Amino acid sequence: MMASSDPAVIQTRRLSKRYRRVTALSEATVTVPEGRISALIGPNGAGKTTLLRLLTGLARPTGGDITVLGGTPRQNAAFLSGVGFLAQEIPLYRHLSAEDHIGIGAHLNARWDGTSVRRRLESLDIPVDRQVGRLSGGQRAQLALALTLAKRPRLLLLDEPVAALDPLARRQFLAHLAEAVADGGLTVVLSSHLLADLERTCDHLILLAKSRVQLCGDIDTLLAEHQVLVGPAKDTTAIERDHTLVQAVRTARQTTLLIRRSGPVIDPAFEVADVGLEELVLGYMGQVAGAAPAQLTSIGEDQ
Amino acid sequence: MTWLVWRQHRNQAYFAAAALAAFAVLLLVTGHQIASQYQSAVTACVASQTCGDLANVLSLGSPVLTLLVTLTVAVPALLGVFWGGPLVARELETGTNQFAWTQGISRSRWLTVKIGWVMLAAAAWGGAVSALVTWWSGPENALKHQNFQPGQFDIQGIVPVGYVLFAVALGVTAGTLLRRTLPALAVTLGLFALLRIVVAEFLRPRYMTAITTAYNLLHPVTPRGSFWQLASGTLGPGGKVQSFLGIGSAKIELREQFSAHLNQVIVDRVPPACSAYLHGVSPLPAVACLTRQGYRGFLTYQPASRYWAFQSIETGIFVFLAVALIAVAAIAVRRRDA
Repeated sequence: MMASSDPAVIQTRRLSKRYRRVTALSEATVTVPEGRISALIGPNGAGKTTLLRLLTGLARPTGGDITVLGGTPRQNAAFLSGVGFLAQEIPLYRHLSAEDHIGIGAHLNARWDGTSVRRRLESLDIPVDRQVGRLSGGQRAQLALALTLAKRPRLLLLDEPVAALDPLARRQFLAHLAEAVADGGLTVVLSSHLLADLERTCDHLILLAKSRVQLCGDIDTLLAEHQVLVGPAKDTTAIERDHTLVQAVRTARQTTLLIRRSGPVIDPAFEVADVGLEELVLGYMGQVAGAAPAQLTSIGEDQ
Repeated sequence: MTWLVWRQHRNQAYFAAAALAAFAVLLLVTGHQIASQYQSAVTACVASQTCGDLANVLSLGSPVLTLLVTLTVAVPALLGVFWGGPLVARELETGTNQFAWTQGISRSRWLTVKIGWVMLAAAAWGGAVSALVTWWSGPENALKHQNFQPGQFDIQGIVPVGYVLFAVALGVTAGTLLRRTLPALAVTLGLFALLRIVVAEFLRPRYMTAITTAYNLLHPVTPRGSFWQLASGTLGPGGKVQSFLGIGSAKIELREQFSAHLNQVIVDRVPPACSAYLHGVSPLPAVACLTRQGYRGFLTYQPASRYWAFQSIETGIFVFLAVALIAVAAIAVRRRDA
């Protein structure tokens, strides 16, 4: 189903966003092909929300290029009808009911599937006539997600969508999302600061840290490109010359290297192992964080 | 979009309609009483030929009602603060604009419909209040020729609609730029009051060149109808305005008042030739002396015939400012990040 020839739904080049003196996003180059569920991972304040808001057109970039669904994110009905966005704070009108929101959607969107929202709320036992302000946080999140899906968007941008859900609801929601993508024509980007939330569902990764994109690509490809080398404490200059060193952990007796491969590793002193997604993400985050735990020595260059 | 606006604001709309209905009933009932009271007073004074004095002896309505009607001067500011201020600011504050701005509708359309309805509702509401007040004040206007006076001019006719449109536009724009409801309310109130005062005090008297007439102190003149007096006083023999004002006023018959005035204020400024007359019981010899010396009274005023021209000019100023403010809000909503 996944092919490298899938057309890009999102394509940015050196995309930047500065707010007065703060740089929220710096030269982000990101490609998300059609049909992916992309995990936008990064610590708090890494620029995840900024990137999503730029993709929706809620914010304007201060530099770089951005193409979403073949056009520039703009405030017009044609662009907006293709994009579904759910902000982190789940903004709904607190004194209006779910039914009111379904009505609003029907009046503001050319394509609108109100029945799907009612069905979903019914299956979750969420009352449609109660004021949104009197629903629980989880119920509000479910309603907002259902409303976002009711637009039948081609691109779904969700900012921390599972944060407000309990573990069971979280799993159900992600399964629901995967189904929607499997039906075709939908691409999803969802952010979280926890990889564990999304690992099971996503097939694409954008890793942000310190306002910069550290990694972007299909998870399978990324895993295949990286390897962990374990060997004796010795000079690793040759390896660092041939490959891109992401992270090095050196103890008195042993060296552990996380590298981005540019060909086969030929040093027989090192044992070569595949890398797990969590290990990969932590490796890149540790690289940015600089001096993580004391025994960690991180070397590497910015991408 | 209209549907969304109605859903969001229908409670406000019901409340506003109920308040207006209550106000209308009150004014219609008391207005009829006042009108018939005035009619019978006029009939009576015509019969006894004492109508010249009617304004001084007849008091219409109750002080409480008069106060209530005078307080409608605050209607535009209230609408600006409670309808205009939160219109966009509340959405920015709670983040619901992110919901609205990611539906299949442009921000411009969203803003246009919201502003359009709130302005229409505010103009209708303010216009209804003003129409009621204008009708209710009819007998009082006829009796006291007051509707061109500052205070009355501001609550009657069409200017209140101009004020309302301006106040609401100011509230919307302040809220859009400040992104917070409370600061927007404060700014709306402050700027609205400031501009109203500046226009009423400094611009309104100059919409058209005022008329100045000079007259014999012994035969004061009063323009016809509801004129607006801007200045009055006494001119010296050389045509210079004298600092002792009020000699030629219509109050010349009110002996006590007049002589008190003379004794306290102008004794030392009256020319020596006339000062001997000042200590008499009647002020008239002193006034006659001043007239012989070449002193004349003058009155600067806007005639009653200009009332509607002034109403139109002032309404136009505020409507123009409202349109300019809305243009600013529209640009901010389109250009700025959510």
